[in-house]
Amino acid sequence: MFKINYKYSLLFVLSLAVTSTLTAQSDDVSPERKQAIDSLALEKVRDLSKYISIIGNKKTAFSEATRVMDRAEELFAPGSEMGVSSLDRKEVNYYKVRKYFERLMALNYDRVNIKWYDIHYISDLEKQPDGRYVGVVTIYQRFEGESDDGLKYKDTTKKDITIYVERKKTQIQGRIIEFWDVLLGDIRVTETSK
Amino acid sequence: MVLNIRNSSKLIVLVLVLISAFGCKSHKKAMEASKASEEKAKIEREAAEQKLKAEEQARQAAEDKARWEAEQRQKESESKASTPAVKLGQYFNAIANSGNVTSANTSINEALTLFASPATPVLIVISDSGGMKDYDKPTTIKDYLNYLKDQKKNINSISSLKTDGEGKITELELKKN
Repeated sequence: MFKINYKYSLLFVLSLAVTSTLTAQSDDVSPERKQAIDSLALEKVRDLSKYISIIGNKKTAFSEATRVMDRAEELFAPGSEMGVSSLDRKEVNYYKVRKYFERLMALNYDRVNIKWYDIHYISDLEKQPDGRYVGVVTIYQRFEGESDDGLKYKDTTKKDITIYVERKKTQIQGRIIEFWDVLLGDIRVTETSK
Repeated sequence: MVLNIRNSSKLIVLVLVLISAFGCKSHKKAMEASKASEEKAKIEREAAEQKLKAEEQARQAAEDKARWEAEQRQKESESKASTPAVKLGQYFNAIANSGNVTSANTSINEALTLFASPATPVLIVISDSGGMKDYDKPTTIKDYLNYLKDQKKNINSISSLKTDGEGKITELELKKN
């Protein structure tokens, strides 16, 4: 009995080892592919930058702004928050991204110009034990708001964006397609200056 | 003396006959030479004419071939210009470079007529390394066209497309440039 158990245990351990080796091989990502994933994630951040600029722009029609808000929200992991700072206060307020977009659209200025620049990784995408890749991208945001009555506000904010990249599968016309799902997480304010 | 004179006359006549005979012969030779020369000139003229004619025919054939090739190229170019991929590429550029939302929306609506449905899937290849394709999250053509309008950048090229029996696009694959 012991002999049989020992034999089966050995077979079980061996099969586990083979399976995990195969899984590890299929999960291997070459440097070229990793670079493509890094670029894809940066592209999503740039896309968000453009969406924020459209939502904040007072010339954007309500219907367009609403549609763009939907698209921008899709870039985020559920429950993600956006930090908002001001030169007039010390604390940073955090809002769910949808709420942030709505507040941005309703800002009490006649002209709003938002520009993101110097977008780069401060922490490369690294594979986590759960299989996801996680990294951090930093951006600088220049905000300029101006009203006809002379009210003006300008600041530059440094923000850190957590990036999650996950391999997922979907079915397209009967075919299984594996893709890289890039989702943005919380956006934390790290510096605010004039 | 008389005999001498008579002999001399005979000699002269003989000489004259001989001269005349030789003269005729050389005239005949000259005539023959002239005739041969004319014949040769004629042959040369005919050869030159034939050469000219052959050159003219070759030139004509070359012109015809060049014209036919140009027509084929034109036909091919017109045919390519009317393929869904080329038309779609033109719409992508028009939407991304559109100066205002209204004109971008017009191009979007026109582009959508090429598709079986606004929900037609769009796959974007971000890497094709070692025979393994990596994709961005799949989207729909309607969302992708709006993406071009919002982002004002056309960074993906058309890789392949599938059409139905009516020639409408049922699946589109793009590749990151």
